Amino acid sequence: MKILCDRTVLQEAVNVVSSVVPAKTTKPILQNILVQADGDGITLFATDLEMAARVHLDAVKVIKKGSVLLPARETSALLRELSDPTVTLESTDQRCRIESGGGSFVLLGEDPQQFPESSEAKSGKHMEIACGNMLRMIQETVFAAAREETRYAINGVLLDCAAGCLRLVATDGRRLSISYENVDTKTEFKVVAPLRALNTLARALPEGGKEMLRVEVGDKQIVFTTGKMQLVSQLLETRFPDYEGVLPKAADTTVELQKAVLESALRRAAILSASEMRMVRFEVGEQQLRMVAESSTRGRADVSIDAVVKGSGGSINLNPDYILEALRVSQLDSIRLDMSDDSMPAKFTLGESFTYVVMPISGT
Amino acid sequence: MTSLPRTILHADMDAFYAAIEQRDRPELRGKPVIVGGSGPRQVVSTCSYEARKFGVHSAMPGVRAKQLCPQGIFVTPRMEHYAAVGAQVREIFERYTDLVEPLSLDEAFLDVTGSRALFGEGEAIGRAIKRDVFAETQLRVSVGVASSKYVAKVASDLRKPDALVVVPPGEERAFLAPLPVSRLWGVGPATQQQLERAGLRTIADVQSRSLPQLVQAFGENLGEHLHVLANGLDARQVEPQREAKSIGHELTFAEDLRTNEQVREVLLQLSEMVGRRLRREGVRASVVRLKLRHPDFTTLSRQRKVPATADDLEFYRVACELLAACWSGRPGVRLLGVTGAGLVEGAAPVQGGLFAQAPKKRDQLLKAMDAIRDRHGESAVRHGGERRDTNAWGPAAEDA
Repeated sequence: MKILCDRTVLQEAVNVVSSVVPAKTTKPILQNILVQADGDGITLFATDLEMAARVHLDAVKVIKKGSVLLPARETSALLRELSDPTVTLESTDQRCRIESGGGSFVLLGEDPQQFPESSEAKSGKHMEIACGNMLRMIQETVFAAAREETRYAINGVLLDCAAGCLRLVATDGRRLSISYENVDTKTEFKVVAPLRALNTLARALPEGGKEMLRVEVGDKQIVFTTGKMQLVSQLLETRFPDYEGVLPKAADTTVELQKAVLESALRRAAILSASEMRMVRFEVGEQQLRMVAESSTRGRADVSIDAVVKGSGGSINLNPDYILEALRVSQLDSIRLDMSDDSMPAKFTLGESFTYVVMPISGT
Repeated sequence: MTSLPRTILHADMDAFYAAIEQRDRPELRGKPVIVGGSGPRQVVSTCSYEARKFGVHSAMPGVRAKQLCPQGIFVTPRMEHYAAVGAQVREIFERYTDLVEPLSLDEAFLDVTGSRALFGEGEAIGRAIKRDVFAETQLRVSVGVASSKYVAKVASDLRKPDALVVVPPGEERAFLAPLPVSRLWGVGPATQQQLERAGLRTIADVQSRSLPQLVQAFGENLGEHLHVLANGLDARQVEPQREAKSIGHELTFAEDLRTNEQVREVLLQLSEMVGRRLRREGVRASVVRLKLRHPDFTTLSRQRKVPATADDLEFYRVACELLAACWSGRPGVRLLGVTGAGLVEGAAPVQGGLFAQAPKKRDQLLKAMDAIRDRHGESAVRHGGERRDTNAWGPAAEDA
């Protein structure tokens, strides 16, 4: 195999597929990227057996067809460090020579025949959504997913497509984030994708991208395709909890807040919340929100900000980290909090189609 | 810090729980009273001196006590009542010094060095305490007076019941010399055999060996420990605890534990004991500490900060993790301890769950288990372990 191509283009493609390469594995061959060159250009492929990423590049001059396995980490680092606008890759047996800017590097790969095949996605259902919208929805939800295995952990993100609307839902059992987008489809599916798959997808999607992302859902797999990039992931067989049931239908009090003001005030108050349980008391009074945090060993914080309050007011204890994580991905300047009492979840409206529900802390 | 000799008292109530029962129920007086259950997994907490004549003693399986003393009257422990009497006794101790270190409900160390000007020498204070305790509770206490905690403890135990044994400064070695090595704190049957094989039967034999000789024969930890105790050099301070800074339990085993299952079983038991006491005191612990001692006295101690908890199983879980991190599986564990430290007051704030009310249920379960134990004794209800052999191990509750 011998190819000549733009270094930056190759580097970006290598980075995308590298994101599925496992850091630790019992099968060292998986730490490679498969490069196949044919008449149409080159295809890069990597997998950890649960997920697979494929990128096709056609702006490549294929001088000699063939395939080679490249060690992912070294290849990526090398492409980053080289300075020439173009690179040449030439492989003989399992060795690949990279020529660029007068330097010459030899990467020792393994036998491409031994690399796991990509399983073809057998899929019936599919839909399309703009890349930028999908990226936003992922960002608005993944932070709320459970990162650790706990009793209530839901280690993935629900993709619920019904009635012309795609919803992404993530929860760790204590807070829940929903983001949705209307889509032009009659397709219906409800599947749970691993958190890692969505994080990987997010890294490959352009911010605000108008081009379409195709989502195909099979029995065990989900496939995301955009342009020349394809990501395949196994689905989780977790039963996702009934998220619609936990959304509060009504609220005693509605508070409108400036996001930036809330964010900085809450960050200040949270400094003095006890380390054993992060907690800030939200007290809604007349046209203001007061946030009180107290640590028996460190001190006390008391911060008030202006708010537009409708309803009876009241107070609840919330984990400030839960709120700050959500505010960080909110794109609105003005957000809304709906709350009732400390046994009911608080509902934050953080975007036109971004809702966040947090269970309060009780028993103090 | 070694200036004048200190005057330390060890006061130990005589057959405390049994004596309270006999006091409260005249029909039990003069009879072999055994506080504890006679069931297969129950143990004797305390027994009256009448029962001791039959060979019954604390920490003995109830079944065995029943065999030895068929006419024994088994009484279900009334821990809350005993605790109340214990507090009454402690209040008497505190009249004579601020430096009271309670070891359990029924025994304490008192440093009266600074009180002598006010109340007279150690012996006089010991006598006064015995008089006050009997006058106010109709219970007997044995008191040892010495210049160190260890010697005072040996002294109080020597002529029980109703004893007052004084070891004047300078006479510690002579006092200890004729006693068997099993009187050395921490020397159980296994270590005793080890000492006897080396020709050490009495404390005098231990005194006759130099520190380097003992270290060479028994290793650094045990050797130094033996040297310090045998020569009356125990310099530990009396540490008053106005408020418990930690709540812990430890068990020393008649036979060393050998398997991971045995060790975990005991950790579960200790965790339950700690959790129960935390809940009784209405506090939670934010540090879990594990202590493990090998037969050669190498002692490992590991601790971890946790979100404050009073949950038995949380203690057990963390204790097992600490165990995994510090115990290579080397056979032979002679002592295990679990302690909750970093105590915080009050109920825990609970992060609510969107889909489940699990934490509340768990609280209710623990409450129910506590209530059952209050009525029917500590072993009436237990958490399920992985596997539970009857008498797979033989724990003897450490008195100290």
